[in-house]
Amino acid sequence: MGMRRREFAAAYLFLAPFLVTLGIFFLFATARAVYFSFTNYDLFNAPTWVGLRNYAELFRDDLFLTALRNSLVFAAVVTTVQTFGALVMAAVLNQRIRGLDFFRAAFYMPSITSSVVITLIFLWMYQRRGLFNYLGTQFLAYLPLLGVFLLAVALLQAAQVLYERSRRLPARWGDPALLVVSLLVAAGITWALVFYGVIAPREVRPVDFVWLQTRREVPGAFPGFLRAPVPLLAIMLQNVFTTIPTFMLMFLAALQDVPAAHYEAASLDGATPVQQFFYITIPAVQPVTFLVVTLGLIGTLQMFDQVAIFGNAVPLKSVITLAYFVYNRMFPGAQLPEVGFASAAAMFLAALTLVIVLLQRLFIRSEGRR
Amino acid sequence: MSAATLPHEPRATLAMERWEARRRWARAGIVYVVMLLFSLLFLGPLLFAALSSLKTDPLAYPPRIAIPQLSPANWAAAARLGRAGARASLWGGFAPGADVPFELTYFVPDGTEAAPPTVTVPRRRPGGGLGAVQSVRYAADHAAVVPPREVGREAGSATVRGEQVAGTFVTYRVRVRYVGDGPTLDHLPIDAEAPSRTQAFVRSTLPPTRLERLGLVASYDNVAPGVLGYVFNNYRRVFEEARSVTTGRSLFLSWTASSFIIAIAKVLSTLLFASMAGYALARLRFPGRGVIFVLVLFAQMIPVQVIFISNYLVLKGGIFGLSRLWGQATLLNSLTGVVLSGLVGAGAVFIMKQFFESIPREIEEAAMIDGTNQWQRFSRVVLPMARPALGALTILTFQGAWNDFFWPLVVLTTPEDIKTLPIGLLTFRNVYGTTGDWGLILAGAVMSALPIIVLFVVFQRYFLEGVSYGGTKE
Repeated sequence: MGMRRREFAAAYLFLAPFLVTLGIFFLFATARAVYFSFTNYDLFNAPTWVGLRNYAELFRDDLFLTALRNSLVFAAVVTTVQTFGALVMAAVLNQRIRGLDFFRAAFYMPSITSSVVITLIFLWMYQRRGLFNYLGTQFLAYLPLLGVFLLAVALLQAAQVLYERSRRLPARWGDPALLVVSLLVAAGITWALVFYGVIAPREVRPVDFVWLQTRREVPGAFPGFLRAPVPLLAIMLQNVFTTIPTFMLMFLAALQDVPAAHYEAASLDGATPVQQFFYITIPAVQPVTFLVVTLGLIGTLQMFDQVAIFGNAVPLKSVITLAYFVYNRMFPGAQLPEVGFASAAAMFLAALTLVIVLLQRLFIRSEGRR
Repeated sequence: MSAATLPHEPRATLAMERWEARRRWARAGIVYVVMLLFSLLFLGPLLFAALSSLKTDPLAYPPRIAIPQLSPANWAAAARLGRAGARASLWGGFAPGADVPFELTYFVPDGTEAAPPTVTVPRRRPGGGLGAVQSVRYAADHAAVVPPREVGREAGSATVRGEQVAGTFVTYRVRVRYVGDGPTLDHLPIDAEAPSRTQAFVRSTLPPTRLERLGLVASYDNVAPGVLGYVFNNYRRVFEEARSVTTGRSLFLSWTASSFIIAIAKVLSTLLFASMAGYALARLRFPGRGVIFVLVLFAQMIPVQVIFISNYLVLKGGIFGLSRLWGQATLLNSLTGVVLSGLVGAGAVFIMKQFFESIPREIEEAAMIDGTNQWQRFSRVVLPMARPALGALTILTFQGAWNDFFWPLVVLTTPEDIKTLPIGLLTFRNVYGTTGDWGLILAGAVMSALPIIVLFVVFQRYFLEGVSYGGTKE
């Protein structure tokens, strides 16, 4: 009896610091946000109860609807691209080779640096005379050379494969040994053609794509609700860049547990690498995919930092997200804070995150059972 | 393929084996190349930004990798000039007794007469932005320019407006002396104006910071920089130009200090409180345990946008007036506020609970027989065994606190001194980004990332373990 009471006291003493923090900064905070969302409150006058009016107002607020659309487009595109990209990269890198640790560390570098540092660097590269436009210019200038090179690779590879097949060796179209030869010879041919002046880089006008100060939406051919503003696209690109490595490493850890015998058996049965990817790799990493999609959705739906850092470099309407909308209403600069309205938007964001995560859970689970 | 028929033909088998071996080698080669390309893709922007942070203007077009700051010849010249300026070959300067020689070479086409350039020491403010309010001492007030003297002449030809023109390369040496006694100055700027546009500037001891008025004026921000002062000029500017309006202290230093204080305090509190709570949840039996565990899971799902509204108000009131006990009316704009509101996170408690559940109970039971109390068992027996988990938690917490942007942005607004590095960098971006002064922003960004990168290189294992705990979110 005394023992049990002592254990009870000890437990709560051990838990006390955590419970106090949790109580004040999570439970009380959540409860208060729920309460505020039903009131009209500006920090100076006492809150007045308005029922569901804030929630109804949300859907009449243009900026909120823009933020909602931006957040949904952002979450959908980024989660899809990063999950698929990370999985493909992991499948390519799933080799037991020396020096894997070095490469893992290199890939992981963008994920450990803060969002501010990465965003500042990207903001700099997105300037009109920045690196992205420069690389675009170079790409256009060297396009003929690249075309010749790729054509040469394709022809050489085809010729080699046909020759090996005539010798009754089982050469595939993408055979690595032959590909190495094709690549090297094609590089030599391209270099020789440039050297003798047969082909040359084109003179092109510098690309002057406006990434930031623009209201353009892409792709222009799509109906309005499917387009994304160009500055939001810039943030998407950056976000994918920083998250792919993390998720790739999670996939890679799962893939290293898949017995190599599965791939060998499939290979003997004549399955192509693409078939192996769809029939072995994807089913094998099902639980990790679930985790990656969940984390991705939560992270993207609550994206804030990038919007705040891009700041006045872009039109607010083209990048505002739900998270930034909440912050913006809580601290609107010169105006009075709309605490109730901000709380309603925050509750909506929380509910949206929960619903979308639950939905994808249902979806991925049922996919897995099939 | 008819793999089954091949073993009957020995030569075919040999060919097949060779074929397979060749394939394996080629595949390994391709994998390494692909990995290198991926590394380049992911490290490229960071490395290129770090490199460009040395440039005078990181937006110079086209972007170059071979920059003057990386040339050993320029390092030697900068060290020599730094010694001449202040007997400091590393950081340079302009001190009493200085006599700085500087050479400029011009191309004079045949048929025109060579004339020395006009060299002046301008009263130029080193940078604008946050440093614009400081009082500045100008090198111009202490410097005397000894008129340029011709020291070399060499016939040659140069391309002028697309045409090859014969002429002479004429080199002039100018000396800048420190007159009398006075303070040591950080910078010695000079402007060298050519007598006419036909006499074209070719090169000088150090490359000019910029060419003005269509190449007529070669302008130098500092002709006595010292080698580090030359290469890391933007980094020096980060510390020296951005100063607090009220205290005059370097903002970047204050921000770094804030970031370290918050991160270290959070790591310590998290380690202690999360392992205590995790231990209780994993080992002790008490009513309410299930409820608390559900709350732990629930707290991890609440977006920060929901809780920050109330938390802001709680800190504003000093946690229900508690902070008045130590004389703070409000915890807004105070590091204490940021630390107290993030003493321990639910995620950290979850990690420690999972870990303690993996430790066998028997070890503790042996200690129990020895008659130790609960706290002793925890602190002397269980905690030392938790070192791997505590390591991963330290890294995760430090990284989370160091990189945290949203909450400090809400709590720390004025004065500038109190900010942390991430939101301080936002200040940099707002102040210097509009004027296109990216050298300073990039240098600040690189420096703020350094502690994490060093930590990563040293404790890589823990970072990668952090991934397996399910993401690196705090």
